[in-house]
Amino acid sequence: MAKQYEIPVGAQHISLLEPLHFKFTTENEKIVSTTANIYYVHRGIEKACCTKFKFRQVSFVVGRVCGLCSISHTTAYSQVAEKLIKIEIPARAKYLRMLVIELDRIHSHLLCLSHVAENSGFEALFMKTMQYREAFMELLEAVCGNRVQYDFSIVGGVARDLKPEVAMMIIGRLKKFKSQLDELVDIFQNNWTLGLKNKNAGAITREDAMRLNVVGPFARAAGLAVDVRNESQELLPWIEVGFKIITETGGDAYSRSLVRLREIYVSMRMVENIINGLPESALITETKAFPDGEAVVRIEAPRGELFYYAKGNKTQILERLKIKAPTFSNVSAMLEGFEGNEYGSVPAIIASYDPCLSCTSR
Amino acid sequence: MKRIETTIQNLKKDIGHFYQPELYHFIVMNAVDLGEKIELQWFFGDYTEPFEIIAFCAQITPDVEIPSITSIVPSAWVAEAELVDLIDIRIENTSKGFVLEPDFESGPLRKGK
Repeated sequence: MAKQYEIPVGAQHISLLEPLHFKFTTENEKIVSTTANIYYVHRGIEKACCTKFKFRQVSFVVGRVCGLCSISHTTAYSQVAEKLIKIEIPARAKYLRMLVIELDRIHSHLLCLSHVAENSGFEALFMKTMQYREAFMELLEAVCGNRVQYDFSIVGGVARDLKPEVAMMIIGRLKKFKSQLDELVDIFQNNWTLGLKNKNAGAITREDAMRLNVVGPFARAAGLAVDVRNESQELLPWIEVGFKIITETGGDAYSRSLVRLREIYVSMRMVENIINGLPESALITETKAFPDGEAVVRIEAPRGELFYYAKGNKTQILERLKIKAPTFSNVSAMLEGFEGNEYGSVPAIIASYDPCLSCTSR
Repeated sequence: MKRIETTIQNLKKDIGHFYQPELYHFIVMNAVDLGEKIELQWFFGDYTEPFEIIAFCAQITPDVEIPSITSIVPSAWVAEAELVDLIDIRIENTSKGFVLEPDFESGPLRKGK
Protein backbone atom coordinates (compact mmCIF):
# COMPACT_ATOMS: atom_id res chain seq x y z
CA MET A 1 0.00 0.00 0.00
CA ALA A 2 1.32 3.44 -0.91
CA LYS A 3 1.98 5.94 1.86
CA GLN A 4 -1.15 7.92 2.77
CA TYR A 5 -1.25 11.67 3.26
CA GLU A 6 -3.97 13.78 4.85
CA ILE A 7 -4.56 17.08 3.09
CA PRO A 8 -6.86 19.64 4.73
CA VAL A 9 -8.74 22.05 2.49
CA GLY A 10 -10.70 24.94 4.01
CA ALA A 11 -12.49 26.39 5.86
CA GLN A 12 -10.91 29.25 3.89
CA HIS A 13 -9.13 28.21 0.73
CA ILE A 14 -8.54 29.84 -2.62
CA SER A 15 -10.54 27.18 -4.49
CA LEU A 16 -13.38 26.85 -1.98
CA LEU A 17 -16.42 28.98 -2.58
CA GLU A 18 -18.02 28.18 0.75
CA PRO A 19 -16.82 27.99 4.37
CA LEU A 20 -16.47 24.26 4.83
CA HIS A 21 -13.55 22.07 5.73
CA PHE A 22 -12.55 18.92 3.86
CA LYS A 23 -9.88 16.49 4.93
CA PHE A 24 -8.69 14.36 2.01
CA THR A 25 -6.78 11.15 2.59
CA THR A 26 -4.67 10.48 -0.49
CA GLU A 27 -2.41 7.76 -1.77
CA ASN A 28 0.07 9.56 -3.98
CA GLU A 29 -2.31 11.83 -5.91
CA LYS A 30 -5.44 9.65 -5.63
CA ILE A 31 -8.12 10.50 -3.07
CA VAL A 32 -9.09 7.43 -1.04
CA SER A 33 -11.43 9.01 1.50
CA THR A 34 -12.83 12.39 2.54
CA THR A 35 -14.37 13.85 5.68
CA ALA A 36 -16.02 17.24 6.13
CA ASN A 37 -17.01 19.78 8.77
CA ILE A 38 -19.73 22.28 8.03
CA TYR A 39 -20.07 24.21 11.28
CA TYR A 40 -18.53 27.54 10.34
CA VAL A 41 -21.63 29.55 9.47
CA HIS A 42 -24.37 28.37 11.81
CA ARG A 43 -26.48 31.46 12.60
CA GLY A 44 -29.38 30.05 14.60
CA ILE A 45 -31.99 31.09 12.04
CA GLU A 46 -34.47 28.31 12.92
CA LYS A 47 -34.25 29.30 16.58
CA ALA A 48 -34.73 32.98 15.77
CA CYS A 49 -37.78 32.17 13.62
CA CYS A 50 -39.44 30.39 16.56
CA THR A 51 -38.58 32.92 19.27
CA LYS A 52 -37.82 36.43 17.99
CA PHE A 53 -40.11 36.92 15.01
CA LYS A 54 -43.83 36.78 14.31
CA PHE A 55 -44.80 34.29 11.63
CA ARG A 56 -45.44 37.02 9.01
CA GLN A 57 -41.95 38.43 9.62
CA VAL A 58 -40.30 35.03 9.22
CA SER A 59 -40.40 35.17 5.40
CA PHE A 60 -38.01 38.16 5.61
CA VAL A 61 -35.73 36.23 7.98
CA VAL A 62 -35.53 33.05 5.89
CA GLY A 63 -34.81 35.23 2.86
CA ARG A 64 -31.46 35.84 4.57
CA VAL A 65 -30.65 32.12 4.79
CA CYS A 66 -29.05 32.25 1.36
CA GLY A 67 -27.81 34.91 -1.02
CA LEU A 68 -28.29 32.76 -4.11
CA CYS A 69 -31.73 31.20 -3.67
CA SER A 70 -33.42 33.72 -1.39
CA ILE A 71 -36.63 33.49 -3.42
CA SER A 72 -36.80 29.71 -2.93
CA HIS A 73 -36.62 30.13 0.84
CA THR A 74 -39.15 32.94 1.03
CA THR A 75 -41.54 31.10 -1.31
CA ALA A 76 -41.23 27.77 0.52
CA TYR A 77 -41.78 29.46 3.86
CA SER A 78 -44.71 31.52 2.57
CA GLN A 79 -46.31 28.35 1.19
CA VAL A 80 -45.91 26.41 4.42
CA ALA A 81 -47.30 29.37 6.43
CA GLU A 82 -50.24 29.67 3.99
CA LYS A 83 -51.00 25.98 4.60
CA LEU A 84 -51.02 26.62 8.36
CA ILE A 85 -53.38 29.59 8.08
CA LYS A 86 -55.38 27.80 5.37
CA ILE A 87 -55.45 30.39 2.61
CA GLU A 88 -55.16 30.20 -1.18
CA ILE A 89 -53.07 32.93 -2.79
CA PRO A 90 -54.22 34.87 -5.90
CA ALA A 91 -53.37 33.37 -9.30
CA ARG A 92 -51.16 36.29 -10.34
CA ALA A 93 -49.04 35.88 -7.20
CA LYS A 94 -48.44 32.20 -8.05
CA TYR A 95 -47.18 33.03 -11.52
CA LEU A 96 -45.03 35.93 -10.29
CA ARG A 97 -43.43 33.63 -7.72
CA MET A 98 -42.58 31.16 -10.47
CA LEU A 99 -41.20 33.97 -12.64
CA VAL A 100 -38.73 35.10 -9.98
CA ILE A 101 -37.80 31.53 -9.03
CA GLU A 102 -36.88 30.76 -12.67
CA LEU A 103 -34.95 34.03 -13.16
CA ASP A 104 -33.12 33.18 -9.94
CA ARG A 105 -32.37 29.67 -11.22
CA ILE A 106 -30.81 31.12 -14.37
CA HIS A 107 -28.49 33.44 -12.45
CA SER A 108 -27.61 30.69 -9.93
CA HIS A 109 -26.79 28.14 -12.66
CA LEU A 110 -24.69 30.73 -14.49
CA LEU A 111 -22.80 31.44 -11.27
CA CYS A 112 -22.08 27.73 -10.80
CA LEU A 113 -20.98 27.37 -14.43
CA SER A 114 -18.67 30.37 -14.11
CA HIS A 115 -17.02 28.82 -11.04
CA VAL A 116 -16.63 25.48 -12.81
CA ALA A 117 -14.83 27.36 -15.60
CA GLU A 118 -12.68 29.30 -13.12
CA ASN A 119 -11.74 26.24 -11.08
CA SER A 120 -10.90 24.38 -14.28
CA GLY A 121 -8.43 27.15 -15.13
CA PHE A 122 -10.58 28.83 -17.81
CA GLU A 123 -10.58 32.45 -16.60
CA ALA A 124 -11.94 33.96 -19.81
CA LEU A 125 -14.99 31.69 -19.72
CA PHE A 126 -15.48 32.54 -16.05
CA MET A 127 -15.63 36.26 -16.91
CA LYS A 128 -17.88 35.74 -19.92
CA THR A 129 -20.36 33.64 -17.89
CA MET A 130 -20.37 36.15 -15.04
CA GLN A 131 -21.02 38.93 -17.53
CA TYR A 132 -24.10 37.10 -18.84
CA ARG A 133 -25.23 36.42 -15.28
CA GLU A 134 -25.05 40.12 -14.46
CA ALA A 135 -27.91 40.82 -16.87
CA PHE A 136 -30.14 38.47 -14.87
CA MET A 137 -29.13 40.13 -11.60
CA GLU A 138 -30.28 43.42 -13.15
CA LEU A 139 -33.58 41.81 -14.21
CA LEU A 140 -34.12 40.49 -10.69
CA GLU A 141 -33.44 43.94 -9.31
CA ALA A 142 -35.95 45.42 -11.76
CA VAL A 143 -38.63 42.89 -10.75
CA CYS A 144 -37.99 42.68 -6.99
CA GLY A 145 -36.23 45.94 -6.15
CA ASN A 146 -33.17 44.11 -4.88
CA ARG A 147 -30.37 42.06 -6.42
CA VAL A 148 -29.89 39.46 -3.68
CA GLN A 149 -32.39 39.50 -0.79
CA TYR A 150 -35.55 39.74 -2.83
CA ASP A 151 -38.27 39.71 -0.12
CA PHE A 152 -40.65 39.11 -3.02
CA SER A 153 -42.76 36.22 -1.71
CA ILE A 154 -44.60 37.11 1.47
CA VAL A 155 -47.24 35.24 3.44
CA GLY A 156 -50.41 35.54 1.35
CA GLY A 157 -48.88 36.44 -2.01
CA VAL A 158 -46.14 38.67 -3.41
CA ALA A 159 -44.88 42.10 -2.39
CA ARG A 160 -44.65 43.74 -5.85
CA ASP A 161 -46.36 43.59 -9.20
CA LEU A 162 -44.59 43.14 -12.54
CA LYS A 163 -44.56 46.45 -14.42
CA PRO A 164 -45.23 46.21 -18.19
CA GLU A 165 -41.91 47.89 -19.02
CA VAL A 166 -40.04 45.37 -16.83
CA ALA A 167 -41.87 42.51 -18.58
CA MET A 168 -40.72 43.94 -21.94
CA MET A 169 -37.19 44.25 -20.58
CA ILE A 170 -37.18 40.56 -19.58
CA ILE A 171 -38.46 39.42 -22.98
CA GLY A 172 -35.84 41.54 -24.75
CA ARG A 173 -33.06 40.27 -22.53
CA LEU A 174 -34.05 36.61 -23.02
CA LYS A 175 -34.03 37.11 -26.80
CA LYS A 176 -30.50 38.50 -26.66
CA PHE A 177 -29.32 35.80 -24.23
CA LYS A 178 -30.43 32.89 -26.44
CA SER A 179 -27.42 33.15 -28.78
CA GLN A 180 -25.10 33.79 -25.83
CA LEU A 181 -26.35 30.61 -24.17
CA ASP A 182 -25.84 28.65 -27.41
CA GLU A 183 -22.24 29.87 -27.35
CA LEU A 184 -21.77 28.78 -23.70
CA VAL A 185 -23.22 25.34 -24.45
CA ASP A 186 -20.81 24.95 -27.37
CA ILE A 187 -17.82 25.83 -25.16
CA PHE A 188 -18.82 23.68 -22.19
CA GLN A 189 -19.69 20.77 -24.44
CA ASN A 190 -16.76 20.83 -26.86
CA ASN A 191 -13.81 22.67 -25.34
CA TRP A 192 -10.92 20.24 -25.11
CA THR A 193 -9.37 21.67 -21.92
CA LEU A 194 -12.66 21.79 -20.03
CA GLY A 195 -13.38 18.24 -21.14
CA LEU A 196 -10.03 17.04 -19.79
CA LYS A 197 -10.73 18.60 -16.42
CA ASN A 198 -14.41 17.72 -16.08
CA LYS A 199 -15.13 14.45 -17.88
CA ASN A 200 -15.22 11.57 -15.37
CA ALA A 201 -14.38 13.99 -12.53
CA GLY A 202 -16.38 13.54 -9.32
CA ALA A 203 -18.63 10.97 -10.99
CA ILE A 204 -21.43 9.13 -9.24
CA THR A 205 -23.73 6.52 -10.78
CA ARG A 206 -27.53 6.61 -10.87
CA GLU A 207 -27.56 3.81 -8.27
CA ASP A 208 -25.27 5.84 -5.99
CA ALA A 209 -27.49 8.89 -6.43
CA MET A 210 -30.50 6.81 -5.45
CA ARG A 211 -28.74 5.09 -2.55
CA LEU A 212 -27.49 8.41 -1.16
CA ASN A 213 -30.75 10.34 -1.79
CA VAL A 214 -29.08 12.95 -3.99
CA VAL A 215 -31.20 15.87 -5.22
CA GLY A 216 -31.10 18.60 -7.86
CA PRO A 217 -28.81 18.87 -10.89
CA PHE A 218 -26.34 16.61 -9.05
CA ALA A 219 -28.90 13.75 -9.20
CA ARG A 220 -30.25 14.58 -12.66
CA ALA A 221 -26.72 14.56 -14.12
CA ALA A 222 -26.44 10.95 -12.92
CA GLY A 223 -29.71 10.00 -14.64
CA LEU A 224 -31.96 10.17 -11.58
CA ALA A 225 -35.07 12.08 -12.73
CA VAL A 226 -35.99 13.95 -9.56
CA ASP A 227 -37.33 17.48 -9.64
CA VAL A 228 -39.98 18.88 -7.31
CA ARG A 229 -41.39 20.93 -10.21
CA ASN A 230 -42.33 17.62 -11.81
CA GLU A 231 -43.82 16.23 -8.62
CA SER A 232 -45.84 19.03 -7.08
CA GLN A 233 -48.39 21.11 -9.00
CA GLU A 234 -50.52 21.74 -5.93
CA LEU A 235 -49.05 25.12 -5.00
CA LEU A 236 -47.38 26.28 -8.23
CA PRO A 237 -48.40 25.02 -11.72
CA TRP A 238 -44.94 24.27 -13.12
CA ILE A 239 -45.97 21.90 -15.91
CA GLU A 240 -48.60 24.35 -17.18
CA VAL A 241 -45.89 26.96 -17.83
CA GLY A 242 -43.66 24.56 -19.74
CA PHE A 243 -41.53 22.70 -17.23
CA LYS A 244 -39.63 19.74 -18.65
CA ILE A 245 -37.24 17.59 -16.65
CA ILE A 246 -33.62 17.46 -17.86
CA THR A 247 -31.33 14.51 -17.21
CA GLU A 248 -27.90 13.33 -18.34
CA THR A 249 -26.24 9.99 -17.72
CA GLY A 250 -22.53 10.66 -17.09
CA GLY A 251 -22.89 11.66 -13.43
CA ASP A 252 -19.62 13.64 -13.62
CA ALA A 253 -18.72 17.34 -13.44
CA TYR A 254 -19.13 17.60 -17.24
CA SER A 255 -22.69 16.19 -17.12
CA ARG A 256 -23.61 18.49 -14.24
CA SER A 257 -22.63 21.51 -16.35
CA LEU A 258 -24.68 20.21 -19.28
CA VAL A 259 -27.74 19.66 -17.07
CA ARG A 260 -27.50 23.24 -15.77
CA LEU A 261 -27.07 24.67 -19.27
CA ARG A 262 -30.05 22.73 -20.63
CA GLU A 263 -32.14 23.73 -17.60
CA ILE A 264 -31.48 27.37 -18.40
CA TYR A 265 -33.24 26.87 -21.77
CA VAL A 266 -36.23 25.39 -19.93
CA SER A 267 -36.27 28.26 -17.41
CA MET A 268 -36.14 30.82 -20.24
CA ARG A 269 -39.12 29.18 -21.94
CA MET A 270 -41.03 29.12 -18.64
CA VAL A 271 -40.31 32.81 -17.99
CA GLU A 272 -41.58 33.72 -21.48
CA ASN A 273 -44.73 31.64 -21.00
CA ILE A 274 -45.41 33.17 -17.59
CA ILE A 275 -45.09 36.72 -18.92
CA ASN A 276 -47.24 35.97 -21.98
CA GLY A 277 -50.01 34.37 -19.93
CA LEU A 278 -49.83 36.33 -16.68
CA PRO A 279 -53.37 36.40 -15.21
CA GLU A 280 -54.91 39.56 -13.81
CA SER A 281 -55.78 39.38 -10.13
CA ALA A 282 -54.90 40.79 -6.73
CA LEU A 283 -51.38 40.21 -5.42
CA ILE A 284 -52.16 39.14 -1.91
CA THR A 285 -54.82 37.32 0.12
CA GLU A 286 -55.46 39.11 3.38
CA THR A 287 -56.33 37.18 6.53
CA LYS A 288 -56.03 37.61 10.27
CA ALA A 289 -55.71 33.88 10.96
CA PHE A 290 -52.93 32.45 13.13
CA PRO A 291 -50.94 29.35 12.14
CA ASP A 292 -52.23 26.09 13.55
CA GLY A 293 -51.19 22.46 13.11
CA GLU A 294 -48.22 21.23 11.10
CA ALA A 295 -47.40 21.35 7.40
CA VAL A 296 -44.58 20.57 4.99
CA VAL A 297 -43.65 22.07 1.64
CA ARG A 298 -41.05 21.14 -0.95
CA ILE A 299 -39.77 23.44 -3.68
CA GLU A 300 -37.11 22.97 -6.36
CA ALA A 301 -34.38 25.48 -5.55
CA PRO A 302 -31.49 25.86 -8.02
CA ARG A 303 -29.52 23.18 -6.13
CA GLY A 304 -32.43 20.79 -5.65
CA GLU A 305 -35.19 19.94 -3.21
CA LEU A 306 -35.71 22.54 -0.50
CA PHE A 307 -37.93 21.27 2.33
CA TYR A 308 -39.78 23.32 4.96
CA TYR A 309 -41.59 21.95 7.99
CA ALA A 310 -43.58 24.31 10.21
CA LYS A 311 -45.70 23.79 13.28
CA GLY A 312 -48.05 26.47 14.63
CA ASN A 313 -49.86 26.80 17.94
CA LYS A 314 -52.50 29.48 17.18
CA THR A 315 -50.14 32.27 18.26
CA GLN A 316 -48.01 34.73 16.29
CA ILE A 317 -44.86 32.74 17.07
CA LEU A 318 -44.23 29.38 15.40
CA GLU A 319 -43.67 26.32 17.56
CA ARG A 320 -41.06 24.87 15.18
CA LEU A 321 -39.58 25.68 11.79
CA LYS A 322 -37.29 23.19 10.11
CA ILE A 323 -35.38 23.92 6.91
CA LYS A 324 -33.68 21.20 4.85
CA ALA A 325 -31.52 22.69 2.11
CA PRO A 326 -30.54 20.79 -1.07
CA THR A 327 -26.81 20.72 -0.29
CA PHE A 328 -27.65 19.05 3.05
CA SER A 329 -29.04 16.08 1.11
CA ASN A 330 -25.97 15.95 -1.13
CA VAL A 331 -23.23 15.92 1.54
CA SER A 332 -22.83 12.10 1.52
CA ALA A 333 -22.61 11.93 -2.27
CA MET A 334 -20.21 14.86 -2.37
CA LEU A 335 -17.80 13.00 -0.11
CA GLU A 336 -18.09 9.73 -2.08
CA GLY A 337 -17.75 11.58 -5.39
CA PHE A 338 -14.18 12.60 -4.57
CA GLU A 339 -12.98 9.04 -4.10
CA GLY A 340 -10.71 7.73 -6.84
CA ASN A 341 -10.14 11.19 -8.31
CA GLU A 342 -6.83 13.03 -8.56
CA TYR A 343 -6.32 15.57 -5.78
CA GLY A 344 -5.72 18.21 -8.48
CA SER A 345 -9.32 17.81 -9.69
CA VAL A 346 -10.79 18.83 -6.32
CA PRO A 347 -11.45 22.52 -7.16
CA ALA A 348 -13.35 21.71 -10.35
CA ILE A 349 -15.32 18.92 -8.65
CA ILE A 350 -16.33 21.16 -5.72
CA ALA A 351 -17.50 23.86 -8.11
CA SER A 352 -19.54 21.31 -10.07
CA TYR A 353 -21.27 20.21 -6.85
CA ASP A 354 -22.42 23.83 -6.45
CA PRO A 355 -22.57 23.55 -2.64
CA CYS A 356 -24.29 26.19 -0.54
CA LEU A 357 -23.20 26.15 3.07
CA SER A 358 -25.23 29.21 3.98
CA CYS A 359 -28.34 27.12 3.30
CA THR A 360 -26.94 23.91 4.75
CA SER A 361 -25.78 25.21 8.10
CA ARG A 362 -28.19 28.15 8.58
CA MET B 1 -48.26 14.55 4.64
CA LYS B 2 -48.96 11.04 5.86
CA ARG B 3 -47.95 10.38 9.47
CA ILE B 4 -46.97 6.89 10.56
CA GLU B 5 -46.70 6.54 14.33
CA THR B 6 -43.94 4.28 15.57
CA THR B 7 -41.80 3.71 18.66
CA ILE B 8 -38.06 3.78 19.17
CA GLN B 9 -38.14 0.02 19.71
CA ASN B 10 -39.90 -0.60 16.38
CA LEU B 11 -38.27 2.21 14.40
CA LYS B 12 -35.66 0.24 12.47
CA LYS B 13 -38.10 -2.58 11.78
CA ASP B 14 -40.80 -0.19 10.51
CA ILE B 15 -38.47 1.90 8.36
CA GLY B 16 -36.68 -1.24 7.16
CA HIS B 17 -40.00 -2.71 5.97
CA PHE B 18 -41.04 0.52 4.29
CA TYR B 19 -37.89 1.92 2.70
CA GLN B 20 -36.96 0.88 -0.82
CA PRO B 21 -34.35 3.20 -2.41
CA GLU B 22 -35.87 2.86 -5.88
CA LEU B 23 -39.33 3.96 -4.63
CA TYR B 24 -38.64 6.50 -1.85
CA HIS B 25 -36.00 9.03 -0.96
CA PHE B 26 -35.07 10.06 2.53
CA ILE B 27 -35.67 13.81 2.95
CA VAL B 28 -34.57 14.67 6.48
CA MET B 29 -34.95 13.91 10.17
CA ASN B 30 -36.63 16.49 12.39
CA ALA B 31 -37.34 16.94 16.09
CA VAL B 32 -39.97 19.01 17.87
CA ASP B 33 -39.51 19.81 21.55
CA LEU B 34 -42.88 19.13 23.21
CA GLY B 35 -41.70 20.00 26.71
CA GLU B 36 -41.17 16.81 28.67
CA LYS B 37 -40.98 14.76 25.48
CA ILE B 38 -39.42 15.21 22.05
CA GLU B 39 -41.17 14.14 18.88
CA LEU B 40 -38.79 12.74 16.28
CA GLN B 41 -39.82 12.66 12.63
CA TRP B 42 -38.17 10.86 9.70
CA PHE B 43 -39.43 12.27 6.39
CA PHE B 44 -39.51 10.29 3.14
CA GLY B 45 -40.78 11.28 -0.31
CA ASP B 46 -42.12 9.17 -3.19
CA TYR B 47 -40.08 9.02 -6.40
CA THR B 48 -43.27 8.21 -8.28
CA GLU B 49 -46.90 9.32 -8.12
CA PRO B 50 -48.62 10.32 -5.87
CA PHE B 51 -45.35 11.99 -4.67
CA GLU B 52 -46.60 11.84 -1.12
CA ILE B 53 -44.50 12.82 1.91
CA ILE B 54 -44.43 10.15 4.59
CA ALA B 55 -43.33 10.97 8.15
CA PHE B 56 -42.43 8.27 10.66
CA CYS B 57 -43.02 9.82 14.08
CA ALA B 58 -41.92 8.65 17.53
CA GLN B 59 -41.98 10.39 20.88
CA ILE B 60 -39.03 9.99 23.25
CA THR B 61 -37.73 11.34 26.52
CA PRO B 62 -34.43 13.24 26.10
CA ASP B 63 -32.34 10.67 28.01
CA VAL B 64 -33.07 7.79 25.59
CA GLU B 65 -30.47 6.74 23.02
CA ILE B 66 -32.08 6.59 19.58
CA PRO B 67 -31.13 3.89 17.08
CA SER B 68 -29.43 5.15 13.94
CA ILE B 69 -31.11 4.29 10.63
CA THR B 70 -27.86 4.54 8.63
CA SER B 71 -27.84 0.75 8.16
CA ILE B 72 -31.06 1.24 6.14
CA VAL B 73 -30.53 4.78 4.77
CA PRO B 74 -26.75 5.39 4.52
CA SER B 75 -27.06 9.14 3.90
CA ALA B 76 -29.12 9.70 7.07
CA TRP B 77 -25.95 10.28 9.14
CA VAL B 78 -25.96 13.96 8.14
CA ALA B 79 -29.48 14.55 9.49
CA GLU B 80 -28.73 12.51 12.62
CA ALA B 81 -25.55 14.49 13.31
CA GLU B 82 -27.48 17.74 12.89
CA LEU B 83 -30.08 16.78 15.49
CA VAL B 84 -27.45 15.57 17.97
CA ASP B 85 -25.99 19.09 17.86
CA LEU B 86 -29.16 21.19 17.62
CA ILE B 87 -31.57 19.24 19.86
CA ASP B 88 -29.01 17.60 22.16
CA ILE B 89 -30.29 14.06 21.83
CA ARG B 90 -28.24 10.89 21.78
CA ILE B 91 -28.16 8.84 18.59
CA GLU B 92 -26.32 5.56 18.22
CA ASN B 93 -22.79 5.96 16.74
CA THR B 94 -23.20 9.74 16.29
CA SER B 95 -20.91 12.27 17.94
CA LYS B 96 -21.28 16.02 18.39
CA GLY B 97 -19.49 18.67 16.39
CA PHE B 98 -20.74 18.44 12.79
CA VAL B 99 -23.19 21.34 12.52
CA LEU B 100 -22.09 23.27 15.62
CA GLU B 101 -18.52 23.84 16.72
CA PRO B 102 -17.54 21.41 19.49
CA ASP B 103 -17.39 24.17 22.14
CA PHE B 104 -20.84 25.59 21.21
CA GLU B 105 -23.62 25.19 23.77
CA SER B 106 -25.53 21.97 23.00
CA GLY B 107 -29.14 21.84 21.95
CA PRO B 108 -29.96 25.45 21.04
CA LEU B 109 -33.31 24.38 19.61
CA ARG B 110 -34.52 22.95 22.92
CA LYS B 111 -37.12 24.99 24.77
CA GLY B 112 -35.68 27.30 27.41
CA LYS B 113 -32.25 27.53 25.75
